[in-house]
Amino acid sequence: MSLKVYMPPPHGGKLVDAVIRDKDKAVEMAAGAMAYDIKPTRSIVDGSPIRNVYREIMSIAYGFFSPLDRFMTRNEVESVLKERRLLDGWLFPFPIIFDIPEEDLRKLGVKEGDRLLLRLKGQPFAILDIEEVWKFDPKDLADRTFGTPEKNSDVVKRRFDEKHPGWLIYRSMTGTALAGKVYVINEPIFKDPYTRFWYPPAKSREEIQRRGWRTVIAHQTRNVPHTGHEHLMKNAAYLGDIEPAHGILVNAIIGAKRLGDFVDEAILEGHEALSKYGYISPKRHIVTMTLWDMRYGNPLESLLHGIIRQNMGCTHHMFGRDHAAVGDYYDPYATQILWDKGIPSFGLPAPPYDLDKGLKIRPVNIKEFWYCPKCGEIAYSDTCAHTDVAQRFSGSFIRGLIAEGIEPPPIIFRPEVYRVIVKWWRVYGYPFVNKKYLELKERELEVDAPKMEIPIKG
Amino acid sequence: MGMPYKMAVILDKARLERIKGTQLEGLVKDLYGGYLKVLELDVPDDVAQRILKEFPRARIDARGFIEETPVVFKRELFEVIAQLRSVGREVFEELLKPERLSRIKELAAKEEEYLPPPPLLEKEK
Repeated sequence: MSLKVYMPPPHGGKLVDAVIRDKDKAVEMAAGAMAYDIKPTRSIVDGSPIRNVYREIMSIAYGFFSPLDRFMTRNEVESVLKERRLLDGWLFPFPIIFDIPEEDLRKLGVKEGDRLLLRLKGQPFAILDIEEVWKFDPKDLADRTFGTPEKNSDVVKRRFDEKHPGWLIYRSMTGTALAGKVYVINEPIFKDPYTRFWYPPAKSREEIQRRGWRTVIAHQTRNVPHTGHEHLMKNAAYLGDIEPAHGILVNAIIGAKRLGDFVDEAILEGHEALSKYGYISPKRHIVTMTLWDMRYGNPLESLLHGIIRQNMGCTHHMFGRDHAAVGDYYDPYATQILWDKGIPSFGLPAPPYDLDKGLKIRPVNIKEFWYCPKCGEIAYSDTCAHTDVAQRFSGSFIRGLIAEGIEPPPIIFRPEVYRVIVKWWRVYGYPFVNKKYLELKERELEVDAPKMEIPIKG
Repeated sequence: MGMPYKMAVILDKARLERIKGTQLEGLVKDLYGGYLKVLELDVPDDVAQRILKEFPRARIDARGFIEETPVVFKRELFEVIAQLRSVGREVFEELLKPERLSRIKELAAKEEEYLPPPPLLEKEK
């Protein structure tokens, strides 16, 4: 058997492409359907927009979530909650639900078997073929999605609550869901700077081939990179097959984030600056994005990341400490536990690559990098033994430094990356996500919807 | 006994000047090869819980440090340290006095809307 590693097939075997590019066909499909303007999910705590389902529609239709091609039925959600599998058996971590206020549903008067036209910014955007109308208890769904210390004591350390942004998304849903296949019928146009980072799976696979990369390691990000992230990327990328990985594919999660995270534009351009200014050669680096209102679900989020990046054509995925985590709800190494031996309490008795209908992407579990004053360099925590003097990287500490108006020293933050933060700080009057940014982001979104005329009912 | 937490106050040139010649000077720690100077404070568990309660966005990071407190909280923390010439528990007792705390919270609320961006960076001039 060859030791060389090649691009894996999409999860489920085939990329979903539910984008109708033929205008006449799109109009024909939508004609006569009841129309509904997509609304954001607003936090039950303070009313802030914390999710817009358009991002999930995009991620389904463009194949990021392949083989998922629909909003889930009750049975499918139950299957996901029980064993993190779709009804056809393929692994999938989160319930993907199109929820709607009860009153809106009553006004629309749609039922199973009907087609709904979904509008975005007042323009036709997608259609949803309603297979099932079902109800759920949002709190119960939120608890079962993320787990509880009683039922999932292998990785859940603390009961989830409103302070957890992902739990809050599910908790803030309406409790009434429409399930069924969804199609984008009017491709949105990405705004600057998002447009240049938009590599849906089919395009990403083409780009990887165009660049001649055989092995590509994915890096998940919701952060502007400090040098700890940079070392993680560079060092994890030594693992390929007979030589280091040819490419590093950074995939940023773009959507509503928790207060205090960096703004999306700075995350993308911050990563871009690393290759623009040569810290990682542009020959080996690409920055991309996925639309998703992050659930901060640590091991579960990592499973979604594995699916997305396998679909994008990556051969490897790096996972660090506290992967996609917030607070201390999960074991800091829960993601690595999943990819090392599985999490039985989530219905995953073995790691995702050892399960039937599991993943083909290879995990690279990495601990952390710290600054060691004794070594006088940034060192890997399992290599450097100076644990008593080692200075760990802390994103929170760096954010605090930035908020105080102090430029972080180059050893922990590249000056060009800091300049990106300041650029967007000037635009928004704030360097991080705050309520104002969330509202503005909800109003503007990452896209504009082109004008499209469709004969409609509602 | 709860877990011992910490807080760090970053010292820029002006702050270093303020503590010059005091006993605090001997407590200054180098971070990241001396690029950053900080004063570290031990935070008793009850004080830590109080800070987390008063400032919902504050959190304990992977190092066990309380971070993401409002900028004005950190600024006032330094003021109290400089005034009392101490990094002991009394610093937090002073900082969390009702009148002072309510002023900090008032300013912190404004800070959540707007933070002045830094002046032009050297390379942009």
